[in-house]
Amino acid sequence: MEILQLKNVSLTYQTRTEETVAVDDVSFGVKEGEFVVIVGPSGCGKTSVLSLAGGLIKPTSGQITLDGKPVETNSKIGYMLQHDTLFEWRTIEKNVMLGLEVQKNRDTYAKNYAHDLLKKYGLYDFRKHYPSQLSGGMRQRAALIRTLALRPRLLLLDEAFSALDFQTRMEVCDDVHSIIKSEGKTALLVTHDISEAISLADRIVVLSKRPAKVKSLYTVNLDGKTPFERRENKEFSVWFDRIWRDIS
Amino acid sequence: MKKKLRSEREKYLLSLKKQSTKVHAIRLAILIGFFGLWQILAYTETIDDFITSSPVRIVKMLRELLSSGIFVHIATTLYECILGFIIATVVGSLIAVWLWWSETARRVLEPYLVVLNSLPKIALGPVIIIWVGAGAKAIIMMTVLICIIVTVISVLSGFMECDKDKILLLRSMGASKLQILTKLILPGSLPNFMSVIKINVGLAWVGAIMGEYLVSSAGLGYLIIYGGQVFKLDLVMASTLILCLLAALMYIVVAVIEKRICRFR
Repeated sequence: MEILQLKNVSLTYQTRTEETVAVDDVSFGVKEGEFVVIVGPSGCGKTSVLSLAGGLIKPTSGQITLDGKPVETNSKIGYMLQHDTLFEWRTIEKNVMLGLEVQKNRDTYAKNYAHDLLKKYGLYDFRKHYPSQLSGGMRQRAALIRTLALRPRLLLLDEAFSALDFQTRMEVCDDVHSIIKSEGKTALLVTHDISEAISLADRIVVLSKRPAKVKSLYTVNLDGKTPFERRENKEFSVWFDRIWRDIS
Repeated sequence: MKKKLRSEREKYLLSLKKQSTKVHAIRLAILIGFFGLWQILAYTETIDDFITSSPVRIVKMLRELLSSGIFVHIATTLYECILGFIIATVVGSLIAVWLWWSETARRVLEPYLVVLNSLPKIALGPVIIIWVGAGAKAIIMMTVLICIIVTVISVLSGFMECDKDKILLLRSMGASKLQILTKLILPGSLPNFMSVIKINVGLAWVGAIMGEYLVSSAGLGYLIIYGGQVFKLDLVMASTLILCLLAALMYIVVAVIEKRICRFR
């Protein structure tokens, strides 16, 4: 059963000086519980694809459906960006509650769920802290919990690990992957990092240079529970080669 | 006899303390040196204290002023300054919110703001006096005019600098424009807003004193102008000194408020 479906989606940007085709006839789907990663050369329009999938921008042509209905910005989609975008003036707890506040959801059930997530993923003791008092990895985890608190059907991650240093990145990558899997969430990640893509993905969508087209689709069946274990798999480099050739 | 060996940490803390003592001592020395030198030069008649006044004469004048209703003047200036400051900050910020909200308004008004910002507001003095009358109203008006354009421009630029990713995040949660304003733009601009207020505190004094130069019958600016006209430099210097103290006091109040509000940093 496919949650998200992109069908012949194209996007043309209009500026004063020119018209740019950013996305050209892209079609793919994301199944329930799947972790799909979009890779492509930098500047190819990956982020545009994600914004389209989240309903933040409208396609010039083609259809995008979420659970069979045309996509729109609402509680069904959770966003996570390159920078954690935690609000510095809010405590971790208040940050996590941001989405509920915006949607005027005063349900104690939803609140309890958010608290449970904080407890489960080791941030409950830090709930009264401000983001500046937390490490990069913890901040990214808090950002993920903020997204999950809205119980989204689909998570969209835009280069979510790129701003972190290598060490933290490995940890956060494992962290986020295990949280998403244990909460049974469906996720779509955009990245330029091929090894990150292989270590995380159930399926990989390779995009071409601008304008972005789907160059190839792979189902990755590497053994290994965590992204880190996957990186140690012998076949990892084979996959890397294959996708690297695709992109360049 | 045996001196206890200090740990690295203690040594470091001690050096910090020494450094800050040094800074304070030099600060105080400059102040004392300045007034001391002034007094010595006046006492030895190297400078003419009829023109330059002197610390001793200033103190004498301050004593005189204290017993002859200086507080009326202080209150007058404070009232004009604070009221002008509040009106300019509130109205200016509201205009900034409006300009953030409407891109059309922002684009239409941009050249006007630029021109008004570079216009020396004192040039409007005669117009203000004719329109609102000679008195406290005109002075408050002058203060407002001096502060308000800077407020609009600075507050608005703070709004516009807001992290685009955060706006995107709120939009993805389904936030309305009003929610983006109240949840993100306003609280996020608080540090910037506090620095605007600090600038305004300074400008409000400029406005109030300038207004009093133009038209007044009381206030510290009035005392300074009056003192200059009748060649009572003691009065000019004493009033200036009081002005310095008041401005510093107001700045400290703002700084304390800022520290309270911006705890998260």
